[in-house]
Amino acid sequence: MFAITYRKVWLIIAAVIMIGSALIIGLFGLKQGIDFTGGSLTEVVYESAPTKEALEAGISTLALGGTSVRESTDVNGREAYIIRTRDLSEEEHGAINDIVLALGDGGEVTRFTSIGPVIGQELRDKAGWAIFGVVSVIVLYVAFAFAGIGTPVSSFVYGLITIFVLIHDVLVPTALMSLLGYFAGVEVDVLFVMALLAVLGYSVNDTIVVFDRVRENLKLNRTEHHKKHTEPGGIVRDEVTYRLTKPYDEIVGSAVSETMARSINTSLTTLAALTALYVFGGVVTKTFALILITGVIAGAYSSILIASPLVVAYAAYQARKVS
Amino acid sequence: MSESTQQPSAQTQAFMRWFRALIVIGAVAWFAVVVYQNATQPEASNPFKLGLDLAGGSHLIYEADVSGIDPIEVPQLMNVLRDVIERRINVFGVSEPIVQVEKSSFVTDEPIERLVVELPGVTDVSAAVAEIGRTPLLEFKLYSAELDQQQQAVENLNSLTLASSSGATIGEVKVNGEVADKTGTVSPFLDTGLTGRYLETASLEFAGSQTGQLANEPMVAVRFTDEGAKLFAEITAAHVGEQLGIFLDGELLSAPVINEAITGGTATISGSFTPDEARALAQNLSFGALPVPITLQSTQTVGASLGVNVLEHGVKAGVFGFSIIVLFMMLWYRLPGLVSSTALLSYIVIMLGLFQLVPVTLTAAGLAGFVLSLGMAVDANVLVFERMKEEFRSGSSSRKAAEVGFIRAWSAIRDGNITSLLSAIILFWFGTSVVKGFALVFGMGVVVSMFSALTITRTLLMVLPEVSYTEKSFWSKLLGCGLSK
Repeated sequence: MFAITYRKVWLIIAAVIMIGSALIIGLFGLKQGIDFTGGSLTEVVYESAPTKEALEAGISTLALGGTSVRESTDVNGREAYIIRTRDLSEEEHGAINDIVLALGDGGEVTRFTSIGPVIGQELRDKAGWAIFGVVSVIVLYVAFAFAGIGTPVSSFVYGLITIFVLIHDVLVPTALMSLLGYFAGVEVDVLFVMALLAVLGYSVNDTIVVFDRVRENLKLNRTEHHKKHTEPGGIVRDEVTYRLTKPYDEIVGSAVSETMARSINTSLTTLAALTALYVFGGVVTKTFALILITGVIAGAYSSILIASPLVVAYAAYQARKVS
Repeated sequence: MSESTQQPSAQTQAFMRWFRALIVIGAVAWFAVVVYQNATQPEASNPFKLGLDLAGGSHLIYEADVSGIDPIEVPQLMNVLRDVIERRINVFGVSEPIVQVEKSSFVTDEPIERLVVELPGVTDVSAAVAEIGRTPLLEFKLYSAELDQQQQAVENLNSLTLASSSGATIGEVKVNGEVADKTGTVSPFLDTGLTGRYLETASLEFAGSQTGQLANEPMVAVRFTDEGAKLFAEITAAHVGEQLGIFLDGELLSAPVINEAITGGTATISGSFTPDEARALAQNLSFGALPVPITLQSTQTVGASLGVNVLEHGVKAGVFGFSIIVLFMMLWYRLPGLVSSTALLSYIVIMLGLFQLVPVTLTAAGLAGFVLSLGMAVDANVLVFERMKEEFRSGSSSRKAAEVGFIRAWSAIRDGNITSLLSAIILFWFGTSVVKGFALVFGMGVVVSMFSALTITRTLLMVLPEVSYTEKSFWSKLLGCGLSK
């Protein structure tokens, strides 16, 4: 099985991808949206738009501090501007509306959002806690569900590897988001966090399917050895040891090839749905779809070419240490 | 006991398989009709509920300053606050507004009490905010028979104007020195200067039978301040036998007749209240303006045209996504692929039905989550079919292969879905309203897809003819899946 045979190659590629992604995120950072930082966003659509300079000059009379005006087009292809400022009081909101609607022709405010800094901070905390909570539950469940998987690798290792794979699957779309933010001004919002959490769920599902097959194949390819211990006090303990009838890497390899068709097919159907969402879906969910597409591809790759090679590599390392 | 009662004949078994399959298909079809009717008929009892980002509207978050209040009283005060705001919004005439008390989650250091106000269809936030920030007004006004007559006269004149085709116009009609507007709404009540400003407390009381009122009728007892009591005594003394109208926010609540001068500084307001209404009114009155001061923290407004666009695109994405998945499943898995496409269709019908019945407020994020779940919903079928394929090729009959496939794939389906469900629960728990919508759709999708992909698929697979892989017949080709070796 190539996934296991060339495991060093795959693991080196994975390491390069992960380090590269981490470097991109570290270098370019993430552009946080007003969901997290607090601030306001006004989208105004015109039949006949004023110049950007006129709009900026009009808003500057309010002295709101750092404001940004970006040209954009609305869903129907009309000219639009997106104005960002600090969070606004109701009076300031009214004043901005008056100014932007007085300029140009046929102006209409189609979207307005103002978020106070407290709510932004709380949302950021919540996002962090939600990711932490989901990850913890997944490790615990994997460790629990695979308990008793036996030799040569303990269930806890499967749990840890699942986490490692998760980190990979989250780093890749986050790096993409970092690049999008740096080069295209795309901001991290609540939808991005949801996309990441959906990637987490998808990725762990993918990895579990492979490990489930490993678990099943281990049971099919082992012999049980019972040994009765008589302990002081007359308690008889039955100690069971397993001996694999095939090498571990072969067992894992066959599990990978047996689940490969499923991994690819499920990824394809999910990608089909996401591509439809990206191409036909509304503007609001475009970035969401893109992040998920990246995450699902990373997830499919990692469940085949990272999770199983890693568990085999760990078993080999363990064997070397013992001998 | 004869052999036949224990083991039904092959014919009976076949009949039962078809019977079950037809029941499943019939139930899904019936459900689809119900969903369609609910979605299209204007008077349907369970229509889809669209969130503000799809329907257009405003979402306001207020923070309540509860710093000076005993923590035990906070929940009650927040409820009073909610009632007050709800009433003010109702005056504003918004259909189906939502006013909720929300506590910031425990991740923040200090709990913050919030009031979330959702106003569907309202994009002029400034007017709405002004209405919410308004103080309620309790007024006592005297009924004037003279004014009432003038009012009648104005109405008559107006109807005359409307009726006459001669084109004669009537000049300004003066009522009590003021120009009445042409619609002729002159209130037959005179201001007395006595308002809620002079109120000290208000409480819920029940009428005793001896006062001539209905026994146990809920009433609101109000106590005036010293100044108010004096004013009240003067008014009642001067107008014995007349009616005193009690107005809240300009609406007449009741107009009791003054029987005698009331000097005690107390009055009761009755007006066929339910006990709850009376309690609410007493609370509203005694807390004057608002029980706790509130400040606007966040505003979100989405124009209706943007919302409609997002909805249309979301639906389009769903239709295209579904078509591609069905095409893929049928090309790869052939007949079982068709079966799983039917199951996926049932999944969509059941989910849409649940959206209507629960009801789930659909948002852009929820819609995206639903489209995503279409791709993941077939996963359980893919797992089963891959196992089935292995069994089928290694010599089992098609039906046996399907049965084994379901059993073998179960542990993977179970573990995968449980982790997904746990993630959804955590998301729901931590999330803000947007995230909650997504988490709910995601979690429901996990449960429903397990049902559709296991129960429905299995029932339908069982009616397919039983063949073996080695036959190389038409049916065995249709039942074999994937690229043949």
